[in-house]
Amino acid sequence: MGLEKLKTVLKNEKTSKTLELKTPIIGASGTYGYNSEFEDFIDLNCFGAIATKGITIEKRLGNDGERIFEVQNGLINRIGLENVGISAFIRDKLPILRQKNIDFLLNIAGSTIEDYEKLAIIAQENSIKAIEVNVSCPNVKQGCLEFGLNPNSLFELVRKIRKNYDGFLIVKLSPNTSDIKALATAVEQGGADCISAINTLRGLGIKIDYIGNKFLKKTVQGGLSGTCIKPVALYMVNQIRQAVKIPIIAMGGISKLNDLFEFILAGADAFQIGTANFIYPSICSNLAFELNEFMIKNNFKDFEHLKGAIINE
Amino acid sequence: MKSKNYIGKIKTITKINKDVYKLDISSALQDCKSGQFISVLCPNKTLRRPFSICDFDKENKILSILIKLKGEGTKYLSNLKENDEINFLAPMGNGFELFEDKKALLVGAGIGIAPLLFLKKEMKKKNITNYLVSGFKTEDEIIKGSDKTVVGGSVLDDIENIIKDKNIDIIYSCGPNIVLKKLSQTAKKLNIPCYVALERVMACSIGVCRGCIIKLIKNNEINNFSVCKDGPIFKGEEILWD
Repeated sequence: MGLEKLKTVLKNEKTSKTLELKTPIIGASGTYGYNSEFEDFIDLNCFGAIATKGITIEKRLGNDGERIFEVQNGLINRIGLENVGISAFIRDKLPILRQKNIDFLLNIAGSTIEDYEKLAIIAQENSIKAIEVNVSCPNVKQGCLEFGLNPNSLFELVRKIRKNYDGFLIVKLSPNTSDIKALATAVEQGGADCISAINTLRGLGIKIDYIGNKFLKKTVQGGLSGTCIKPVALYMVNQIRQAVKIPIIAMGGISKLNDLFEFILAGADAFQIGTANFIYPSICSNLAFELNEFMIKNNFKDFEHLKGAIINE
Repeated sequence: MKSKNYIGKIKTITKINKDVYKLDISSALQDCKSGQFISVLCPNKTLRRPFSICDFDKENKILSILIKLKGEGTKYLSNLKENDEINFLAPMGNGFELFEDKKALLVGAGIGIAPLLFLKKEMKKKNITNYLVSGFKTEDEIIKGSDKTVVGGSVLDDIENIIKDKNIDIIYSCGPNIVLKKLSQTAKKLNIPCYVALERVMACSIGVCRGCIIKLIKNNEINNFSVCKDGPIFKGEEILWD
């Protein structure tokens, strides 16, 4: 079945920079690995792109100890940006993505402005079409979260990345702020083409069992994701929509077709699916097919038409 | 063999001791090997739950798992009835490697016996000499199928003698980390290869989320490996134990 109706173009009206997506469904960073790990379960042609795992300059082994903590309708993770590093990505992973014709957003993370500049230059040199800048990883001790929460430093960071990179520049925002509008404005003024939001929320998981006259305790602090964060994500996307004109890729607890409609009303132009991939590995293609079927059945000629109907009716 | 998402049906569910159930699941899964696992959807929980395959009837396409009641996920599964649907990913992980000319010792601690029961069956088919020792805390926790069952005490108490008496060439084990670590050390001391099946909390179970990482030392270099995809079977001597 063709998915032509789902073709989505994200456009920065000010600069006319665009990102063309086969569908508005994107696999969120950290849930799709680097390239084709999901191939057994999914038709990679069904979605717009995958966001790669967050890539840093050097290889990172990530955090020690327990990394996953399950909560009601959600998940706390403290992976700690484990990744192969940009050189190994370019050498080993990029050729596979290109050979298999998989569209992707290169997700990058750093602990200094120079790190981000270097990563942007490497993306530029390798003609990478789109990058997603992680300024908001909540479970790495030093680094990116500090850029992500201060509008001035965020503006400066985005401006410097922009200087070194001509492709489609997406900045992924943290919800762990009291003023998401100020951050979104800083990103737009810094020259980004698009915002993706939200990253995970800070969370603390505690497990206590009383066994043999003793309390056995376990705590895991990290980033909270999953269906439980959807109302926060909807609010944040809506706030961002009020603050900026650039497109928004929305994420946070999406697991079913109606969630897409809700995020469109809040202000989304495309979507990322994260935690739900772990439970339903074929969810991205399923959502693309369901959305397509809905549009055919109800005579929406394309995705823009559907968005317009949801927002204006 | 490629992993896939299957919707199977519960063929039978049997309570085999005070808190362990055996689920026989009929599905389209064509093949799998011992040491591999399935990742089961528990609709009342966020994450799937991994279970070692403890038997596979290839002719009738029925796979079996043992589940020990631990929390809400396993409680949901233990309450399934005959003909209920069960959604799982399979087969997951690398599985045990078999060597036809090596006398094998299989060491299971508690519910860790599950993949070894399947391994023993595969070895029997291939005429590989094997001896399965299992250990359980109490009588009412015993899971049958071993050549020797230790109740109370440690399954490792007499293990060196068994290794020598039976002229063991290779060891396979599954159980709590503390048992696997000690057994790996004993095996190393006796210069016998030892394969262990690890258990970890998993999120994706296909190797992408990096949630179930362990560290291995290979060629003097420490690196991360995922229990779900690179494992769950590893060489004991390569594991950097916590």
